[in-house]
Amino acid sequence: MERSGLAAPASTATQEGERPPAGAVPSRWWRALPSALPRIVIVYAVFGLLWIAFSDRLLSVLVPDPVLRDRLQTVKGAFYVLITSVLLYELVRRGQRRLVSFGTEIRAAVESMLDGVMVFDRAGIVEANRAAVQLLGASRKGEILGELERFVNLYQPRLSDGTPIDAPGLRGWLSARSDHGGREVVLRRRDGRDIVVNVSAAPILAPDSSGLTISVFRDVSRSHRLEAMRDEFLATAAHELKTPLAVVKAYAQLVQRRTPAEAPALAVVQRQVDRMTGLVQHLLDASRLRLEPGFGPRERFDLRLLVSDVLDQMRAAGPGHTLTLEGPGAVLVEGDRDRIARVVHSLLDNAVRFSPRGGPIEVQVTEGAGEAQVSVADHGLGIPFDRQERIFERYYRAHAGTLEDYGGLGLSLDLSREIVARHGGRIWFESTPGQGSTFHFTLPSRREGPS
Amino acid sequence: MSASVLVVEDDLDLLGLLEMLLQDAGHLVRTARDGAQALERVSEEMPALILLDMRMPVMNGWEFAREFRARHGRACPIVVVTAAENARLRAAEIEAEGFLAKPFDLDDVLRMVARFVPQPSGARA
Repeated sequence: MERSGLAAPASTATQEGERPPAGAVPSRWWRALPSALPRIVIVYAVFGLLWIAFSDRLLSVLVPDPVLRDRLQTVKGAFYVLITSVLLYELVRRGQRRLVSFGTEIRAAVESMLDGVMVFDRAGIVEANRAAVQLLGASRKGEILGELERFVNLYQPRLSDGTPIDAPGLRGWLSARSDHGGREVVLRRRDGRDIVVNVSAAPILAPDSSGLTISVFRDVSRSHRLEAMRDEFLATAAHELKTPLAVVKAYAQLVQRRTPAEAPALAVVQRQVDRMTGLVQHLLDASRLRLEPGFGPRERFDLRLLVSDVLDQMRAAGPGHTLTLEGPGAVLVEGDRDRIARVVHSLLDNAVRFSPRGGPIEVQVTEGAGEAQVSVADHGLGIPFDRQERIFERYYRAHAGTLEDYGGLGLSLDLSREIVARHGGRIWFESTPGQGSTFHFTLPSRREGPS
Repeated sequence: MSASVLVVEDDLDLLGLLEMLLQDAGHLVRTARDGAQALERVSEEMPALILLDMRMPVMNGWEFAREFRARHGRACPIVVVTAAENARLRAAEIEAEGFLAKPFDLDDVLRMVARFVPQPSGARA
């Protein structure tokens, strides 16, 4: 009573076209899995029980002579062993066939996946599915399989900022589990086109597969292009907004000169225009930073002096908060001065924004272990614990929709993190709701070395 | 040489603003809306200073500057007035004597003009 589910591996998903039309039970291997095994076991059990219950009785009916019956007991035993051996043989055979079928089906499933799948061992690539071959623009699997060095030469993996990844680097990448949604890498296809690929890797956990990792490659070029377009749009929109703002401000200044009596009102116009220009500039900076992955101009400067300048600007703009600066003398760092100033400004702006009842804001500039560190501490609202994890995400605003929503575009922390990371520094914070937040960032210090 | 300032700017509002501002400060102001007009104005009468926008129709600032240098050399200083991101770069490209980044502050404009054009007597305070 063999069912089609146990048919030979030939009827796999890849040969759907050759199947008999509707009416026939379709070959579904997973249906066969739970039902086939017990059926044989049941047959075996029923046969065994019947044997125990009736074999002696049957023998005594067939052979009335007790002496001959005793002798035939041995033959009966042998007969039983023979029958059960056949059943066991059938059981094992079916099980094996199912394993073979299962392996083939898995292979077919991986082969049919829309994402590229590759299996790596320590030396190189040992398996790749059809989607992987297509993704890389190769004509057949053989072009991809082989040593990692060869793969690196052919497909030139790079980080999104253009830094090449060499073979040991790639090996390191692939041997580590990517638990947070994979990493993005740029690959050059065989036709010369660059694609952005999200790669997630995991070691294969099986007894005889030590050192094997499986990686899933997903082409995310399209969403990257969309993101780049959005950034370009933001940059253009911001740029277009700046021009009329500048004209409004200039006319306000002109009228203020001509009619000094209206100076207070016109000062408000100018202040609000400045505020809007600041927002627009922020948008422009954020999108431009995304569009230009490299570094801005680098110079050596005194970080403490820069922080102190930004503090002066803030003091001039926002009364109600006591801003204090602590720290030793000059702290020399190297980098994009304007962008570092923006980071400091963002952190101070947030500190002021989320301390609505005023109060002290303490800024520290310290130096130690080859690092300069800036800390900005406020005694304001703090960040709810359940939102702390996300605050560096772009557009995320921890206080959005609450009574404590004091505005902002949700760009400054994302931008700050990006800027600090590009300088080789770190940014982090501690925050207790109701008590305030302290944000820190570091930059490699440049006390020695050529000026 | 006249003490006039030639303002070359295609945005009428900005042109009007600079004209009023400089007139208020007592300067003699002439205007042009593109590079071609500016060349005409220059050939009529050489100004003491040219405030030059870069992005203009007909003939842009860069083309005007090249043409002006070819015809008149350094007969008159040029101050580039253009968007902040590339003002310095643009000024260097045409070897301008100075640059003002848009958006500009009115005091900065007056200060920059005063560097090249002597403040006329009888200027309004």
